[in-house]
Amino acid sequence: MIVRPIYAVLEREVVKMFRQRTRLVSAMVRPLIWLFVIGAGFGTVVGRARGVDYQQFLVPGVLGMTILFGAMLAALTMVYDKESGVMRMLIIAPFAHHWIIVAKTLAAALAGIVQAALLLVVLAVLGFLSWKMSYALLAAGILMTALSCAGIGILVAAFTRTLDNFAAIMNFVIFPVFFLSGALYPIENLPVALKAVAMLNPFTYAVDLLKHALLGAQSTASGSELGVNVDFLVTAGFTLLAIALASWRFSREQAYEPLIHILTGKRG
Amino acid sequence: MNDTRPVALESAVRTKGLTKRYGELLAVDGLELEIAGGQFFGLLGPNGSGKTTTIHMLSTLVRPSAGSAIVAGHDVGKAPVSVRKEIGLVFQESALDRTLTIAQNLRFAGLLYDLEPAVIEKRSNELLELFGLNDKRNRPVGSLSGGMRRALDIVRGVIHHPRILFLDEPTIGLDLPNRRRIWRFIEQLRASTGMTVLLTTHYLEEADSCDQVAFIRAGKLVEQGTPKGLVGALGRHVIELEGRDLDALVAALEPRFGQALRDGDTAMFRHGDEDASALATLQAELGEKVSALRVRRPNLNDVFLWVNAARS
Repeated sequence: MIVRPIYAVLEREVVKMFRQRTRLVSAMVRPLIWLFVIGAGFGTVVGRARGVDYQQFLVPGVLGMTILFGAMLAALTMVYDKESGVMRMLIIAPFAHHWIIVAKTLAAALAGIVQAALLLVVLAVLGFLSWKMSYALLAAGILMTALSCAGIGILVAAFTRTLDNFAAIMNFVIFPVFFLSGALYPIENLPVALKAVAMLNPFTYAVDLLKHALLGAQSTASGSELGVNVDFLVTAGFTLLAIALASWRFSREQAYEPLIHILTGKRG
Repeated sequence: MNDTRPVALESAVRTKGLTKRYGELLAVDGLELEIAGGQFFGLLGPNGSGKTTTIHMLSTLVRPSAGSAIVAGHDVGKAPVSVRKEIGLVFQESALDRTLTIAQNLRFAGLLYDLEPAVIEKRSNELLELFGLNDKRNRPVGSLSGGMRRALDIVRGVIHHPRILFLDEPTIGLDLPNRRRIWRFIEQLRASTGMTVLLTTHYLEEADSCDQVAFIRAGKLVEQGTPKGLVGALGRHVIELEGRDLDALVAALEPRFGQALRDGDTAMFRHGDEDASALATLQAELGEKVSALRVRRPNLNDVFLWVNAARS
């Protein structure tokens, strides 16, 4: 059965995550900086966004951001794995190679979920969470956000040879995904071109789901802009598509033959 | 999966016209290979002869361009997952997570083979004990020496009790004591499991204990047999000569000893007669023309040299 190998990949991810404690701490600090600095700063200018206090409006956004960085960076480590012994263990294991992509996506999503859970505790302590929120929707929202962010990461990882140019990935993937979503501002106010891009961005729908969960009960103008059903459909659809595309890319002989030769260092 | 030892296979590997082409380069060229179950089989050849590509095809990691290969009863092209279930692989480069401990690595590897945690634990203990690594089970792999890491790589490769173990240059880059240690482990493993082992190496003396060896060159099988048989077929003695005017020496001796093999500053002749008394007088006969003369038993290195000389 494939369950145990997938579990193995998840377990390794968690072991590694808790070993890198500084990364975990910085994953908690980054959203708080946004919340306290950007939130407070822009709050004085913006005041309210879609009827919600701006700092409060940012809460789903920074939660989304934590998941985005957590899940996506975890998925991107597959590029490192490609050059290490771990990928060799995976490609010789007795299951079809697309399961490697599935397992890695789930592991990356798990990394995002764990970090989201930790951040929720911090946010609750700081008084940013209303106890009236929809818990089931929040859990589902975190799951879908984590899956789609892992999906973005696995897509990038499948099509990338090295992470030497990590800055480029930051600039051309992570930042656009974050800024061109509804995380920082309602997308309805964006210029048409940017709005169109935001509507194609799966992260927009993921964050919208988090807004439904966290802000939904707070005011009539809930901060969310799209329907829950649409959000679910788009995030789930995107995740499946990302896994399928990444698997196709990974399973193609060209994708892993060079890998073997990189690792053996020759064609003997 | 239960814990019984695998039943010996009748035929471990059978290839027909196995071919791999990389653009212009023909890495493996219509290879016909037959390895009986339980055998210790050595695939020998110079660098770039196609050994590693062959192992990669047999282990389903590289798709053949043409031909077929049946490994442990399954076709590598049609049922790669079934093949991978039955084989263990130790690559030239280690397949371990350097950041995890020995125990964590084996747990990870075992779970990938769908083994129960208790089974992994038990087998890890047995194997680490055998390989002298048990007191280091909680050390990160990155902190192990090269020899220990290679030993652990082999433990990792057999944790699922494969029927066939592929060892691609298992001792490359190791010093002599560590190479010997690795060979002792492999012998113990074979003795206790009876698994088929397919070895590639270019330390030919390591292939002496193989049941069968095959020499490949430019992706083709050029010679196959038992090490003893192949060495025996070469002759009873090898005469090695060094001298100032080697060409003249060779020309003088070739009518008597057959064609010479030139290897740098040395010329070698084969001598089929067990009686070496004729050779004893050779030094006196040639006198100052030779600076060194050695008569010795042939070995696999000689087979390798003669096989290559015959084809080039």
